[in-house]
Amino acid sequence: MSLIQEPAIPLYDAVVKGYHTLSTAGADTEGVRRARQSAFDQWRLLGFPSIKNEDWKYTNITRYLKDEFALDGLVAGGGPVAAVAAPAGLVKKATIPGLDAFQVVLVNGVWDGKVHGASPKGELPKGIELLKVSQVLNDPAFAGYFGNGKWGNQHFAYLNTALFTDGLFIRVKDGAVIEKPLHVVHVFTADRNLLIQPRHVWVAGRNAEASVIESIVGGEGDVKLWVNSLMEIFAQTDSKLDHVVLQTAGTGVRLVQHTTVRQQKQSLYNNYTFTLPGAELVRNDLQARLEEDHTETHLYGLYLTAGGQLVDNHTLVDHQKPNCYSNELYKGVLLEKSTGVFNGKVYVHQDAQKTNAFQQNNNLVISKQATIDSKPELEIYADDVKCSHGSTVGQFSEEALFYLRARGIGEDTAKALLINAFAFDVTEKLRNEAVEHFVNELISQHIPSQTQA
Amino acid sequence: MANDKEIIDNIANKEYEFGFVTDIEMDVAPAGLNEETIRYISARKNEPEWLLEWRLKGLQAFGRQKLPAWQNFEMPPIDFQKISYYAAPKSKKKYDSLDQVDPELLATFEKLGIPLNEQKALAGVAVDVVFDSVSVATTYKEKLKELGIIFCSFGEAVREHPELVKKYVGSVVPYSDNIFAALNAAAFSDGSFVYIPKGVRCPMELSTYFRINTENTGQFERTLIIADEGSYVSYLEGCTAPMRDENQLHAAVVELIAMENAEIKYSTVQNWYPGDKDGNGGIYNFVTKRGICKGANSKISWTQVETGSAITWKYPSVILQGDNSTGEFYSVAVTKNKQIADTGTKMHHIGRNTRSRIISKGISAGQGQNSYRGLVQMGSKADNARNFTQCDSLLIGDRCGAHTFPYIESKNNSATVEHEATTSKIGEDQIFYLNQRGIDSEKAVALIINGYAKEVLNQLPMEFAVEAQKLLSITLEGSVG
Repeated sequence: MSLIQEPAIPLYDAVVKGYHTLSTAGADTEGVRRARQSAFDQWRLLGFPSIKNEDWKYTNITRYLKDEFALDGLVAGGGPVAAVAAPAGLVKKATIPGLDAFQVVLVNGVWDGKVHGASPKGELPKGIELLKVSQVLNDPAFAGYFGNGKWGNQHFAYLNTALFTDGLFIRVKDGAVIEKPLHVVHVFTADRNLLIQPRHVWVAGRNAEASVIESIVGGEGDVKLWVNSLMEIFAQTDSKLDHVVLQTAGTGVRLVQHTTVRQQKQSLYNNYTFTLPGAELVRNDLQARLEEDHTETHLYGLYLTAGGQLVDNHTLVDHQKPNCYSNELYKGVLLEKSTGVFNGKVYVHQDAQKTNAFQQNNNLVISKQATIDSKPELEIYADDVKCSHGSTVGQFSEEALFYLRARGIGEDTAKALLINAFAFDVTEKLRNEAVEHFVNELISQHIPSQTQA
Repeated sequence: MANDKEIIDNIANKEYEFGFVTDIEMDVAPAGLNEETIRYISARKNEPEWLLEWRLKGLQAFGRQKLPAWQNFEMPPIDFQKISYYAAPKSKKKYDSLDQVDPELLATFEKLGIPLNEQKALAGVAVDVVFDSVSVATTYKEKLKELGIIFCSFGEAVREHPELVKKYVGSVVPYSDNIFAALNAAAFSDGSFVYIPKGVRCPMELSTYFRINTENTGQFERTLIIADEGSYVSYLEGCTAPMRDENQLHAAVVELIAMENAEIKYSTVQNWYPGDKDGNGGIYNFVTKRGICKGANSKISWTQVETGSAITWKYPSVILQGDNSTGEFYSVAVTKNKQIADTGTKMHHIGRNTRSRIISKGISAGQGQNSYRGLVQMGSKADNARNFTQCDSLLIGDRCGAHTFPYIESKNNSATVEHEATTSKIGEDQIFYLNQRGIDSEKAVALIINGYAKEVLNQLPMEFAVEAQKLLSITLEGSVG
């Protein structure tokens, strides 16, 4: 393999240059520097993925890489750029009506340090701590959270590790139960094409409980924003974490989002990922690593795609230890000329006896021009397990449609009703009513005019 | 009567070959794969120019291609230059009498209830009588000839029916399809050829089993079956008895062509040498099998019971081109000790209203690894196409593995695809239930396995099904402790 791969991609050169800027600035501690160096070397070997990579078989990103992108946060001399004020309209778009939550807003991955909706003094409850990644990155007390990731064949995770500068660090302290959810709004906005690489680390301490809702907005204009986001979640012993992701960015955004969850003994992690029409490319890599026994994991996903959108959900549930339970349900509704990709892998190691793992992927292909590629995988090396997966691709049930129409319901309304019913299996899993209502609204907004096949 | 004469000649040759091994050894081409070898093979077989050219194209394709790296097992190193590509007639390892044969092998024959003569033939014991199956084959041949059915060796077909062979060979599995198909195209030894004329329903199961003593098709077998409009044929390949074979690499190619309203049923029972307990030796079974439903309302059905070979790696597939055509795949794959099976199917839906059904049952025991890998593709014109896939895996022992890699690709909104897979071990409650009723654990497991595999075994022709059932039990003997 040659070191200089795909020289035709301008972004490639920009990244190489950016890395040199960053490394000569020399602001990092030895540990971080080494992690960056090895990630960069690895990325140089791997380059950008092509459809020859099994994990990118159905997601051809070549055409999204043709544009020129500047690198965010790597101004001369190194160091992150100052936070830009978020356009009020975008924050409003992300705001969930009726949701009683603390809200923080990150612009291009940089937090301004403000907490909205907190106590009069702007304080968070004692049990939760929010910091900027740029503040803690080189703090020895936080060394365990950066540079320990193993990224396997994840091209973009290496890229992020080599070049990230900022993000949000959340720590829920041991035993803390945070009643109100935390709403993290990610706004992406710029006046030129930009590669933005936020890096987030969330820690749920022992016996801690919290609920986080993320909203992703931005990219409404002509400017192309390539967002390569990486998040590491540490769910410590007996912790419980609810994690909702609402991907509602505009067409100007190309989003690659990697999330690794490392679960310890008896922890519970729930993920709900909703991808809506907008961003032209969305690639989610969600990896749950069950590193200790008796954990529980629920992954729910709904992708409603339209336009020329390409939405790719890759999930991995890595059962390393015995007696873990995992359940996954991903549903897709495909409109217009969009493409959906689902790849779910359940890996059961030899030690992981008594594993229960379930996975389901259902797709409703509304439009004639839409494409769906689904690949549910089971790789099992232990015998005392119960694992199953199912995948379906189909259309509206003619009978159901006829039933509704026979009762005087117009075709469009009937179809919208059926789509809502299809999505219901996922939306009903949401535990916050305001969020559930908000998501249902989002879905409804996109359906009516689209049901014509 | 030319056919009869040939059979007799063949048999005569065979006896000769068995009798004078050393003489025949001289007929082996030097090891290595190059243009010279290919020309040598072609010349030895008196092949026409076009076939030689086709072989050479295959050789070129072979040179261009790399070994795949996506499979879910470690590929053993294969030195293609160390294989001898022509040994005519191939010399099997022989014994003078059954007494010299591995007693374990004989015990298996016994359990399968195989007649003595066949036992000898299968074990490679020199046989000096023209025995039953040959005369049976002769009578069959006459009957088939009356109906206009052509059932002969590939080499014979090249001589007797070059127009058919030329038209269809490589039309489903092109020489450039994959590296093993290219290797086969370049160096194929022989194989079977079947042609069923329009509107004819083949009255008997065609089987290579009957030909076992008249043919020696070797490691690069090529099978071509053409079912013309409105015809039907059921073809059986392999047999339940463990086959001894000195060739480690088997790279066969099977092509099926079903015209309008035609139906082809292809059943395989494969029980080649799986290697010893540590996985030494054993056959690599890398086969490319593909059928095309060319005409409307045609049907191709693959049924396979795979218990042998160190590595089984194949994906019998169907191209559903004709409207309303149907593809089926039924499979039972058993791996034990260090056996590996990476098998499954591909269903390419091109025509309207095409249907496919996939039932795959994997059983892993010991340190066996069993993978199902399947592709269901719905093309943009495959309106109202349907697929149903079910793949179940059964695990016996904590060192084995079962893996499922289904690929579903749909470009049509009226197509329906359903896939489901489960993995589990044999329930202790089930075994307990049977134990309580006085059935020992070993028998209980055999019973459960047979129930588990029944859906597939039911697809096999009667005699085969009974043997396959026994075979499953025998294969898994001693796996449960």
